[in-house]
Amino acid sequence: MSGIDGLTRSPATTVFLSALVTALATGLGALPFAFARDVSPRVAAASNAVAAGLMLGASFGLLAEGERHGGGATFVGAVAGLALVLATQRLLGEHAVGVGTLRGAGARRVLLVLVVMTVHSFAEGVAVGVSFGSGGALAAAITIAIAVHNVPEGVAISAVLRSQGASVAACAGWSVFSSLPQPLMAVPAFLFVERFAAVLPYGLGFAAGAMVYLVLAELLPEAYEHEGSPRIALLTGLTTAAMLWFQQQL
Amino acid sequence: MLPSSAPLLGLLSLLAVGAAGAGSAAGARRPGLPGPLLGWAGASAAGLMLGVGYAVLSAGLERAPTAAALASAAGVATLHLVAGLRARRSGGAVDAPSAGGALVATAVHSAAEGIAIGGAMALGAPFGVLLAATLTLHNVSEGALLGAALRADGRTPGSAAAAATLARTPQVAAALAAFTLVAWRPEALPWVLGAGFGGLVYLVFAELLPESYQAIGRTGLALAVIAAAAIVALLGGSARAAAP
Repeated sequence: MSGIDGLTRSPATTVFLSALVTALATGLGALPFAFARDVSPRVAAASNAVAAGLMLGASFGLLAEGERHGGGATFVGAVAGLALVLATQRLLGEHAVGVGTLRGAGARRVLLVLVVMTVHSFAEGVAVGVSFGSGGALAAAITIAIAVHNVPEGVAISAVLRSQGASVAACAGWSVFSSLPQPLMAVPAFLFVERFAAVLPYGLGFAAGAMVYLVLAELLPEAYEHEGSPRIALLTGLTTAAMLWFQQQL
Repeated sequence: MLPSSAPLLGLLSLLAVGAAGAGSAAGARRPGLPGPLLGWAGASAAGLMLGVGYAVLSAGLERAPTAAALASAAGVATLHLVAGLRARRSGGAVDAPSAGGALVATAVHSAAEGIAIGGAMALGAPFGVLLAATLTLHNVSEGALLGAALRADGRTPGSAAAAATLARTPQVAAALAAFTLVAWRPEALPWVLGAGFGGLVYLVFAELLPESYQAIGRTGLALAVIAAAAIVALLGGSARAAAP
């Protein structure tokens, strides 16, 4: 259905704008880092520990949501996500990579996080689009939930970027960039709702598998290098629990 | 009156404690157990604990989100406080504790594990059995490390086994106490589940993962943890369905 006059938006435009808002909300995750000026190795380790907890909590939430749509599909998606990160890691290991002004191992880690978070945003875009196809109240609830859920994801991305010395603006920019698949996927998912709904558990599992691997193979080892394991355990344990609680409230 | 799974819980907890004693005796006899073996055991235990921990906390959050979250934070904070006190008493050498310090640390964190077992068993016998089996595996490798430390302190293998077993007895007591509390006051279940989760994740991030990274490297550890957690996820589906 198209808009009849200039004041009436088509449903597809509404879906696009709603998903765009959820993407922009990711940028809010950079705000806390405006108050942390110096990034010492210990602060970087703490940021990595916090990011690990947030990503682990988010992954648990994604797996639980995927299980509701289909446990087998979620498992297949998780294996695919794990395989993608392993392959990307191997590919990046053979080439010198850069992200903005970042170079070396830090840039490789940032790129991996960005790839994973961007890819997993496709699934979130599908969720927004499918919810609009299911009715207004559900659409509003899912859009608000994903927008709010994106803020700690932005914190996780910014924590990794900030630990490598990126500016707050760059953290916000890359965070929003990682969520741009949401408006891009929401509209086709809304227009072809039944086909896309079947893909959702694969996407959720994919994101979870990739994120858990990143946490274990990249973020935590980096954190342990510069901070004692009790403090890492405190930060990661608390943020994992907080993220799970937060998702339960949505 | 206690539910019929109480004797099973007692038996499983005792088996887990016995595993620590056996591991300690083996560690005292052969202090040089291969690091990679301990690393793989640690990574597998970490994955199993994360999988069970997630299921345990989710069950708590579904019942009373704020209570479960607060209890998990309290569980993490309590173990951190104990680790801090230990570090202060040993002059900051958390990673190379004395034999006596290791025994105290074992006693404290075994109590936290006990709460998790009791909570998991209150949630459903399959959960309890899975977690107790995981902790039994973990206790063998932890007992081996403790046994090596006790041997270096001049203890015989028999004495090392006895000390490790004794240090683990809070696990049985805490498991039965948590289980009894939930049977008496069912509204305490989210608190017990949250505290159990807090204890498990702290143990994973403070002890199992750092030790295993050194032994088997990042990629091996990540794959082992994910594989173990996936096993729990696959088994946990039916256990969750059976939970009250």
